[in-house]
Amino acid sequence: MLALCLLLGLLVPCAALAEGTDAPTPALDEPLPILQEPVLLDFVQAPYPPEALAMGMEGTVHLAIEVDADGAVVSVEVIAPAGHGFDEAALEAARSFRFSPALDASGPVPVIVEFAYGFVLDSASRPGARPEAQEVPEADAPVNLEIRLREMGTRRPLAGFQVEGEGFTGLTDDEGWARFQGVPPGTWTLRAARGGFDPVERSVEILANQVTTLDLWVRNPSYRDDEIVGVYQRRQEEVTRRTLTVEQVRRVPGTFGDPIRVIQSLPGAARSPFSTGMLVIRGANPEDSAVYVDGVRIPFIYHLDGMLSVVNADLVESVDYLPGGYGVRYGRSMGGVVDVRTQHTFPEDHVAHWTTDILHSGGLVEGRAGPGDRWGYAIGARRSYIDVFIPLFTKGSGYVVQPRWYDYQVKVERLELAHGRFSFFLFGFRDRIDVSTPDDVAQGPDRDAQGDLGAIYGTHRLAVSWQRDLSDDWALEIVPSLGVDLADGSVSGSMDGRETQWLLELRAEAPWTPSDHLTVRPGLDFIGGRYDFEVGLPFDPSMMGDYDPLGEREPYALSDSGWVWGPGVFLEADVRPLADPDRLRLTPGLRMDDVRITGGFHDLAWEPRLGLGFRPVPRTLLKASAGLYHQPPLPMEMYRPDGEVDLVHERAVSATVGVEQEVGQAFRVEVEGFHKTLDDLIVFAREMTSMDDPYFFNAGVGRVYGAEVMLRRDPVGPLYGWLSYTLSRSERRDWPSEDWYPFEFDQTHILVAVGGWRLPRDFELSTRIQYVTGNPTTPYAGGVYDVDQAYYWSYSTAPRNSERLPDYFAVDLKVEKLLTFRTWQLALYVDLLNVVRGVNPEFVIYNYDYTESAYVRGLPFIPNPGFSAKVHF
Amino acid sequence: MASPRLLAALLVPLAAGCATRDLSESWILDRLRVLAVRPEPAEPRPGDTLALSALVVGPGQDLQAVLWLACQDDALGVQGCELDPKVLASLEGLETATPEEIAALYASLVEAGLIGVEPWIPPTYTVPPDILDGLDPAARLEGLNLWIQVTAIPEDASSDADLELAFKRVPVSEAQTPNHNPNISGLQVDGIEVPPGAVLELDRGQPYSFVPVLEKGSVESYRYLNQDGVWEDRTEEPWFLWYVEEGDLTTPWSLWPHPVQEWTPPATPSFDHQTLWVVVADRRGGMGWWTQPVHIR
Repeated sequence: MLALCLLLGLLVPCAALAEGTDAPTPALDEPLPILQEPVLLDFVQAPYPPEALAMGMEGTVHLAIEVDADGAVVSVEVIAPAGHGFDEAALEAARSFRFSPALDASGPVPVIVEFAYGFVLDSASRPGARPEAQEVPEADAPVNLEIRLREMGTRRPLAGFQVEGEGFTGLTDDEGWARFQGVPPGTWTLRAARGGFDPVERSVEILANQVTTLDLWVRNPSYRDDEIVGVYQRRQEEVTRRTLTVEQVRRVPGTFGDPIRVIQSLPGAARSPFSTGMLVIRGANPEDSAVYVDGVRIPFIYHLDGMLSVVNADLVESVDYLPGGYGVRYGRSMGGVVDVRTQHTFPEDHVAHWTTDILHSGGLVEGRAGPGDRWGYAIGARRSYIDVFIPLFTKGSGYVVQPRWYDYQVKVERLELAHGRFSFFLFGFRDRIDVSTPDDVAQGPDRDAQGDLGAIYGTHRLAVSWQRDLSDDWALEIVPSLGVDLADGSVSGSMDGRETQWLLELRAEAPWTPSDHLTVRPGLDFIGGRYDFEVGLPFDPSMMGDYDPLGEREPYALSDSGWVWGPGVFLEADVRPLADPDRLRLTPGLRMDDVRITGGFHDLAWEPRLGLGFRPVPRTLLKASAGLYHQPPLPMEMYRPDGEVDLVHERAVSATVGVEQEVGQAFRVEVEGFHKTLDDLIVFAREMTSMDDPYFFNAGVGRVYGAEVMLRRDPVGPLYGWLSYTLSRSERRDWPSEDWYPFEFDQTHILVAVGGWRLPRDFELSTRIQYVTGNPTTPYAGGVYDVDQAYYWSYSTAPRNSERLPDYFAVDLKVEKLLTFRTWQLALYVDLLNVVRGVNPEFVIYNYDYTESAYVRGLPFIPNPGFSAKVHF
Repeated sequence: MASPRLLAALLVPLAAGCATRDLSESWILDRLRVLAVRPEPAEPRPGDTLALSALVVGPGQDLQAVLWLACQDDALGVQGCELDPKVLASLEGLETATPEEIAALYASLVEAGLIGVEPWIPPTYTVPPDILDGLDPAARLEGLNLWIQVTAIPEDASSDADLELAFKRVPVSEAQTPNHNPNISGLQVDGIEVPPGAVLELDRGQPYSFVPVLEKGSVESYRYLNQDGVWEDRTEEPWFLWYVEEGDLTTPWSLWPHPVQEWTPPATPSFDHQTLWVVVADRRGGMGWWTQPVHIR
């Protein structure tokens, strides 16, 4: 009897989630992606459990193995038992495993590996097996049978497979080959098996004096394991950072497969109207939150239709979502931060991805090229075509709305550098929306509002990233980037405008880690550039202060240009003063931004911030943060035709306190309270008598407070998901003499439940359930008719935002089936949005004289079928 | 974030089709409305006396009175001309006032800007002769606006919400070519001009095209001194607003030079005799209208 104890190590790099060992903390504050996966060096074969053997049973035990930075096994836990003695045997054996350390850019890091320990009976032990007299291969004869095992769908060589014939057996090597010597001529039945894979049987004819080569394709019954089960890096603790691995979130319903959209389902993020993906994080204005792609700041993260982000989902490696309390590495924003990181690992063969749904199609090709395959590459592009469908739904409305967009990404990275990384990344997008109207159909009585409307927005960036280890304890990373933002719009040919903004950014960091107890991170964060804009109007804007619809209109051209100059420097320390460096972690930091903008803005902002993490027991983390955050004016707030502006940075004072608790290997609970005080908020002038008056003042204040709870089940085993709840209040007061009012997107309760279930035969079912308090709204009491404009001016007798829309409730579902062929995979899915078909008002509309009102419904039930293909070539 | 805002602006008309209930349309006259206000002359000079009229329509509603106020910019509020609060306070004891007190109150109302109470006092207003004083010669050619406030009071009004408020600007200037009101002299229905005073006979549920016929000279050419000090010759581009009691209009408005409108009378009208109204405005302050009785067969 031979017990075949086979294994499957699933070593997919994910990001910082895990914690709870006594191993040294990673040197860098930010959880870096895994550069080198841990490899099982010493496999220990477990004895086949007698009970299972007697019953002729096979089984697979799923283990969570905690591996320290030296590759040693710290602990093992069963997360999916098989019973019948398999669990005990696998636990005992796995405790003696030894791995090569997992590596990120800072060096070896501790990880948690999910491991499937398989027990497979050999043919002799199988029930009903009968011994047969067979001619045994000659040991000294030449190799005459070669078998190569590869995984269907990925062409991945399969190592460690037991291949057996009647009377001979062998294991496949790292390239998937098993070779046999002197197999006698005749017909042989071969069987290949390994835990976690479907066994394969094949007959082969061996001819005398010939070498027989056989390709065996083996189907992985659960390809999803490769993607979802993963390696979790230790969590960094100074701020609330919720790092999402792509495969965790792409299957969340309502995201259209876009990992960035899942932010909407996390604590602190308000629901955006019509699922447009607007970033409203912890009660902040959308423009107060910053978006980065590989460290390069971009103005928008979503396309114009709001449905998809501007980065190809197949290129995204992880998304960091920092709702608040973040360190000094991020600046010039008072809201949250979304940091999208693209992949930097490239497959050894070439892989093409393609996705098509009702909104868009797009593809990405990645792989390695150049001498010695030392360059990794990824080239992608996408294009929407919702502009084709919208006209079908607006027939007879007098207008045709046609939004469309494209985006592109080209990334090239030098691989296998001895002391760092070097990459180029070119990416961009262009969004366009046209609203066309028939010439003989009037669009209101204003002659200058007739005709077509068009708007174009584009962003393009070229970034170079260079990382280098200067010594064992000192590293340097520099990311210079050059980019341009373009905007162009026109209304009816009588109103148009265009803006061009060139931006040069430079981020540089040089973390120094002299010991396990200290990391010092000096950094530079520079942004500068030039802007030009032109505006054409059918009337002199000086009329706007005292608009006269009967006044004679004269075309007016306006143009301006200027410079933005914003060097920022920061210094942050990561202090771990106790003997166990994981127990207490202090992260003090100081940031200085000196921002100058043509037009009179020059303001120096000092931002001290402090993060604290204390672990009283290994599985509990107490955390807190406090700090100052500043934000310069938007370009439009800088405009003044004559004279200079008199503005300073907007400011936020933020504080958070929270606790994280691990429960078992798969569950964790996070609770966090937050408070933010806003002042110097830029608000529009209440009374203007001429264009010479300032438009904007730092007169507004605000306050935001609340608590967030997140219960998460990590994606180990067939189930995954999270429950997120936010209780918050966000208020504003524009002028000291005015009253406080609820912020436009103030949502008292935000409850989101996300769950997924991986089913047999590569089916997967996932759901998202949302319950959110309705947005505030201001009721109108009536209107006064302006005869000259044929228009009713509304008036309200109630305070601003004193009422609320009805609560929002939605259930989304997604069903996906993965089909696997020899060299490619095809995922078919249907995303069902709002299956409950609730009314879900998004805002209130009024009739012409404001005497009647109605709710505008949210998104209706939308089935979004699509497919994605992945081809290895 | 600009893109979601732009998106939201574009979504509003789209979203109107996704409302939880149908809202009344501006071109269906089912309540008391002030549709137009016409000053004569349309562009007075300082010292001229204005005669004012309004198209006030309230199908099924009896009109109690129309209150007229005039003011300049300094008395302008959110809802048009605002009366002095002291004057408003004095109205509280109106029921018990003596004739002398009522006369004094009326004088104070006139002082505050009251220029007419229809049907008893036709609204007229004499433009202050010094209204343009202080303006330079070019600005006097352009002029400035007077404000006319119209309040329609239905017979059964019980609160401020029952009142219909409207306001209009009246340009006062020394323009070389002062504006005149446009006049609609009739309608063409499916290419055939309707005789004055005739009642249109239309089939229910059938679409008809309407073209307003403007009196000669209604679309004026005029001279304008632009900001560069250059005289420009311009021609008016009037717009038309259409109102019916039932049925469907393609759009509530039409523009010169495409003034055509299509109305489909209701397939099942609530009453056979209805009315169609057309209002014309020349964008310079001049207005006119046409009332067309219709019999739906």
